[in-house]
Amino acid sequence: MLAIQVLINALVLGCLYACIAIGFSLVWGVLNVINLIHGSFIVLGAYLAWGAYNALGLSPWYSLLIAAPSFFVFGYLLQRLLLNRVITAPVLVTLTLTFGLDLILNNAMIYYFKADYRKLILNPPTGSVSIFDVVVPVDRLIATASALALTFLLYLLLRRSKVGRAIVAVRLDRDAAVLMGVNVKSIYAVAFGLGAALAGCAGVLMALIFPISPLTSSAYLGKAFVVCVLGGLGSVSGALAGGLLLALVEGVGSVYLGPAHAVTLSFVLLIIFLVVRPQGLLGRKGFE
Amino acid sequence: MPISASNMHNGTPPVADHPMLELNQVCAGYGEIQVLWGIDMVVRSGEITALIGSNGAGKTTLMRALSGLIPLTSGKYVSEGVDLSKATAAQMLAHGIVHVPEGRRLFGAMSIEDNLLMGAYSRSVSRTELNRDLDRVYTTFPKLRERRNQAAATLSGGEQQMCAIGRGLMSAPRLLMIDELSLGLSPLLVEQLVAALRQLNSEGMSILLVEQDVTTALDLCHHAYIMDMGRIVRTGQGAELLADPIIRDAYLGVLED
Repeated sequence: MLAIQVLINALVLGCLYACIAIGFSLVWGVLNVINLIHGSFIVLGAYLAWGAYNALGLSPWYSLLIAAPSFFVFGYLLQRLLLNRVITAPVLVTLTLTFGLDLILNNAMIYYFKADYRKLILNPPTGSVSIFDVVVPVDRLIATASALALTFLLYLLLRRSKVGRAIVAVRLDRDAAVLMGVNVKSIYAVAFGLGAALAGCAGVLMALIFPISPLTSSAYLGKAFVVCVLGGLGSVSGALAGGLLLALVEGVGSVYLGPAHAVTLSFVLLIIFLVVRPQGLLGRKGFE
Repeated sequence: MPISASNMHNGTPPVADHPMLELNQVCAGYGEIQVLWGIDMVVRSGEITALIGSNGAGKTTLMRALSGLIPLTSGKYVSEGVDLSKATAAQMLAHGIVHVPEGRRLFGAMSIEDNLLMGAYSRSVSRTELNRDLDRVYTTFPKLRERRNQAAATLSGGEQQMCAIGRGLMSAPRLLMIDELSLGLSPLLVEQLVAALRQLNSEGMSILLVEQDVTTALDLCHHAYIMDMGRIVRTGQGAELLADPIIRDAYLGVLED
């Protein structure tokens, strides 16, 4: 009974973690940029859902439709106007730039939304269902399904569309992609835009479950980072595997060690993976 | 013999008289290091032109310069009357010139078919047309059809070269520039590839072939250029060079019996 509860929780949370991480993983894998704004993008997405619901009465499902294009444009422009200027510089330079941008965005959010924790409470509540005698809130299930759908959408985009193939090609061999006529800078911007759009959408889904505050951005960023290392960089399936593993470890850890130590446990696992299997569960060896 | 530049500008010759690619004193290199020292060369429409030379002669650098990967420091190259000296790789493709790079450079984790589709990235054509072109590549290289859904990295060297050439063909080029066709391949596979190139050429494709295997290249080409230390040191018809004792001595020494 407890085991099933832990498993189902892990499944629900794991898909959400994967959704948090895929955008981060995409940007890291394709651009070789460790995007420190990712956590703040997620929080901004959560505020968007919260604001749209409370001020306009828009259900979070509509917020997804607003978040995806607006975050894409935001990310695309950020890459085009700022990051592309330093993209060829050593990784520390892009890291510093995204760190600075994150400080600006995060502090702007603290200024406008205050640091108080807020909660998006759906009215009427969606209730809960029981699966195998385990009670699961419906909003959480829908958020999970949406997270899975977003993950699958990215997978399809990368596999089946022309621009997706170009993104993968740039990741695999930049020079060869140039020879195919790919404009690498614009593909970088599209990839960064997609990363931002996924972060924004993940934020909308997070708003359904977790309290919202600018201070949570580093927790999301940490999760994304751990998921990428566990699952392996740059693949959608890797992010999914990493997300599920992280959620499972946290779930089991919470039961036996208490929730406070679960996060510690996940970072212990991170260190073990970095030492023992740096390419992650599904990552390929030798990829930078 | 290459057409001299002076012949080109007498009156207004019909477009067909313009060579597929004409290089005029092309110089290029990497940063401070100059590799190419004034290359003059003509690739004629409908012909197979070979560029041969030993390792480090500058052949690959010339290919990179011609496909827009590195800038020229001076000189120019013109294709069918259009100056492409400053063209990017995408613009070269739009003009119908594609570069099949040394080492094949396939997208290893992608399937063969996705690699081929990447080859057509620069074209905006309908899916039907793409399928027709895919089919044409698969007819030229039936092995690729069998393995269309397999990751390119799992192919043998010869199949990878077929895939690389096929990927080049998917851009619907008029000039196919192939760097190191035979490198690391068995003689049997090289024969198959050579047959495929002859077939393509007989259908009207111009080909610029960079080779270290001098016999294969001279046998296949109409005209050849021999490069050494970043300069063109000899040029002539393939058969003529193949019979030249100096060439035989310098490049075919081991093959003399």
